[in-house]
Amino acid sequence: MDYELTTIIGLGSIYLMLLFGIAFITERGWIPDKIVHHPVVYVLSLGVFASVWAYYTSVGNAQRDGYGYLANSIGISLAFLFSPLLLKPILALTRTYQLSSLADLMAFRYRSPWAGTATTLVMLVGVTPLIALQIRAISDTAEILSPNASQGTLAFGFCVLITLFTILFGTSRGAVRGRHDGLMMAIAFESLVKLLAFLAVGVFAIYSGFGGLDKLNLWLQEQPELLFELKEVALFSSFHVFTLLFFSAAVAMPHMFYVTFNGNHGQRALAFASWGLPLYFLLISLPVLPILWAGLQAGSEVQVEYFPVVIGVAYGAPLITVLAYVGGLSAASGLIIVITLALSNMCLNHLILPIYQPTAKDDIYRWLLWKRRALITAVIWSGFLFHYLLDQRTSIELIGTIAFTACLQFFPGIIAILYWPQANKKGFVSGLIAGLLIWFIFLMLPIFIESSPLSLISINWREVAALSLIVNCFLFVAVSLWSTTTDEERSSADICALDTIKRRKRSGLVAKSPNEFITSLSKPLGKKTATREVTQAMKDLNITMDNRRPYDLRLLRGKLEANLSGLLGPSIAGKIIDGYLPYSIVSRHGSSDLNVIENRIEAYRSNLSGMAADLDNLRRYHRQILLDLPLGVCSLSSDNEIVMWNHALTEFTGIKSADIVGSQIADLKEPWLSLLLNFMDEDANHSYKHNFELNGQIKSVNLHKAEIEKSAGQDYSHEGVIILIEDITETEILEAGLNHSERLASIGRLAAGVAHEIGNPITGIACLAQTIRDEYEVDGLKNLAQQIIEQTNRTSKILQSLVNFAHAGTNKSHYENEIVSVVDCINEAQVLISLDKKSKDLSFQLDADPTAMILGDSQRLIQVLVNLISNARDASRSGGKINLQASVEGDQVRITITDEGVGIPAAIKDRIFDPFFTTKEAGEGTGLGLSLVFSIVEDLHGDIDIISPIGSAKSAGTQVILRFPRYQSEPELEIDDQDQETSSQQTV
Amino acid sequence: MYIPRPLLILLVIIYLLLLLSADWINQAGGAWYRPFFVGFLIIAAGGWAHRERDSDEL
Repeated sequence: MDYELTTIIGLGSIYLMLLFGIAFITERGWIPDKIVHHPVVYVLSLGVFASVWAYYTSVGNAQRDGYGYLANSIGISLAFLFSPLLLKPILALTRTYQLSSLADLMAFRYRSPWAGTATTLVMLVGVTPLIALQIRAISDTAEILSPNASQGTLAFGFCVLITLFTILFGTSRGAVRGRHDGLMMAIAFESLVKLLAFLAVGVFAIYSGFGGLDKLNLWLQEQPELLFELKEVALFSSFHVFTLLFFSAAVAMPHMFYVTFNGNHGQRALAFASWGLPLYFLLISLPVLPILWAGLQAGSEVQVEYFPVVIGVAYGAPLITVLAYVGGLSAASGLIIVITLALSNMCLNHLILPIYQPTAKDDIYRWLLWKRRALITAVIWSGFLFHYLLDQRTSIELIGTIAFTACLQFFPGIIAILYWPQANKKGFVSGLIAGLLIWFIFLMLPIFIESSPLSLISINWREVAALSLIVNCFLFVAVSLWSTTTDEERSSADICALDTIKRRKRSGLVAKSPNEFITSLSKPLGKKTATREVTQAMKDLNITMDNRRPYDLRLLRGKLEANLSGLLGPSIAGKIIDGYLPYSIVSRHGSSDLNVIENRIEAYRSNLSGMAADLDNLRRYHRQILLDLPLGVCSLSSDNEIVMWNHALTEFTGIKSADIVGSQIADLKEPWLSLLLNFMDEDANHSYKHNFELNGQIKSVNLHKAEIEKSAGQDYSHEGVIILIEDITETEILEAGLNHSERLASIGRLAAGVAHEIGNPITGIACLAQTIRDEYEVDGLKNLAQQIIEQTNRTSKILQSLVNFAHAGTNKSHYENEIVSVVDCINEAQVLISLDKKSKDLSFQLDADPTAMILGDSQRLIQVLVNLISNARDASRSGGKINLQASVEGDQVRITITDEGVGIPAAIKDRIFDPFFTTKEAGEGTGLGLSLVFSIVEDLHGDIDIISPIGSAKSAGTQVILRFPRYQSEPELEIDDQDQETSSQQTV
Repeated sequence: MYIPRPLLILLVIIYLLLLLSADWINQAGGAWYRPFFVGFLIIAAGGWAHRERDSDEL
């Protein structure tokens, strides 16, 4: 089968354009986010790991190592099946600190730009053979399809194409900003294509090569040596080393790091990939053996690795050949694109930017774009150079092994990030260099210099891998233990070590507003870039330009560092942020940002168990006590930042905790600011009865404070102040009400005494008047005496009412249960009300049924009526009229008090029976009258209704309706019963 | 260090499966795809271990 070179190049171009088209429409948002962010897309994009190695090399490995060829799939599957041990914590770190590559991670953990630079250099040297392997596989397979074409030309053409497309992929606006949706979608597509192509070739091999699965089994029985070799995996063979290589590659290879951590959309996606990716590799491993056996049966003389492409030719199916080629192209191009983008970012952040940074005058984005383009070109063409220099006899398996063994050197450093806080940069760099040196001498050099003296030493790659790893580990541990570890490294180790959280400092910042952030960052970045970055970070955090809360500004600083880290790498970003947005106070030990720590613990909650979970529960319990305390609790840091603002305080002040926590106390609004500041300035820790006005109402509070002391070594330092705010407004009103009641009771007692004292002379006057009337026959004198008697009777009645009312206010445990005439009570209440001069201008209209009787305490009913009538009087205008009615309605007595006053506003209608609620001026009323009325009416088994306004007119007066059970004498009841019987008989 | 319980169970399942299936896979005349069957069982166990759980389930 012979294809034209142009056909092959055209096929490659169309395929790469298709990939770019998918990335383009994804970045444009034409594919719904639901699909783009689906875990299946993530799993498929991770399929980039199934490169030429899984597609072509595994067929050769299957022939040599039997089931050992599965080491590739098993290694990567184990890394994902046990993702909580390695991948999950690293994902959390990379997402929190915007670490986009292994070099970023190493530089971050070992607090040294050198660690990042060393990682990048080793990665560059180690991974170049892997790029060369892809170029070699594509040019080899293209040569099989088009034997007349020169392999060098094919490789060159492929490199030109892939360079152009990688630049397109890698320098789009989204990619520069660290957004990878388009690329991830394209890579997921290419993974799907290669999987389907490989499965199709496998199915073709079984059915076209052998005629079905049964016939394949029969053929295998005739080839027992094949089955024997298949199952012969020696205990200490390369299988185990390969498994370790591919396990570590999940993090150590730049393309896997790029996809696993940058293309991830959350822990859920990783959990899905933890079994999804092993399934992908299981499926892609499945067709390897049928393809191998079909190729062997066909007697193909082509290199075993390329059987997937060859069997189509061998069995006369050109479509399968093209499909297999596209699958291989997919595997190679996907890996080259991702690995190049990852390496170019690493080179930019760790090789170029530490040496040269753009000035503030430059357009930083444009500068970065061109540097990235140049690096992409350099990385791909270094792979081409490696391929060009390589002896054609060198197997593609060896090339791949060399690359994976180089990346294995990062494995000790990666494990130490999570599990060994004592590790330091000196140990890491020493181990890495030593391991790489062994790799270079015994693996890399011999493939270029056959006559090297070292090549005489008989050592296979498996032993080289083991030796380099042992030396690496030994030096790493030994140097780390013997050398000093800096405080920065310890701090980073704490952050990276499992089960710890970031100890963010709670110091103030020199820049006090987002505008000052822009001014400060304009120096290194230029005004335009600084404005764009600060605006972007504010948008991400939903912070406005006028926000000056220290807590928000610290978050903004962190976000800016993370965003710049994505753009310039963590080392440069950290340098810029530390240099231009410094903290104003050098934070002391222990002054951690409690809010941030709490948020982190909250997010980590589901991962706590055992004692940690118990401690967390205890912490929550204590915190909840403070939050739910019915006293206002406000905790301030030593620099007057509000750390806690509990629920009671939120309710009292109307200021939400979320709005104020993290602010300076100076950001509080009045009257709270003056109240707290004045109290903090006082020497006394307790201050009572602070009165202030809030929303037109007088509030009263007691204040208490205590300094929070914290042990810091041998010294004790003030960590802050806790202030308790006790709202005593209601207690004050209650006290005022009680005082008022007490005064009223005194007046009552006084009135009773006065009434008693006046009663005696009045009685004397009445007696004398009666004597004059009865003993003198003069008519005029008799009339005068009679008038005196009437006036003294009236005076006695008034005095008796006063005495009765005064006695009603005294404490009684037992009330009378007598027959009460409602009319008499109304009359008496009217008399009492009339005594007040305020009642003089009003006219009372009484319409009462004398048969209206209830069972109860007359004095209490009088008290109800006095309160209601006095309210009606207070609400009435001068010259107004008050209607008093009492009627019998069935078995109820209905009393209505109707005024023509101002009425009751609808807004307060629901509250008029609340104790201490009053609309009267201070000192005029206690707010207890109607609540007392309500209470007495309930005691008398009645109910009360208030209608205001009466009718449709606004402010047309108020009508109070009281209903009580009617008292009926026994004869009345009998008559009623007879009436009912008659009525029922008539009904029957 | 916190190791989720399902992960430990997965580890035990993998170990037991490999222990039990080693002879079965290498049996003379056994089907060539037997290791893939075991692999599928391990992945199914992995799917169980990494299933979505309530946030408070530890």
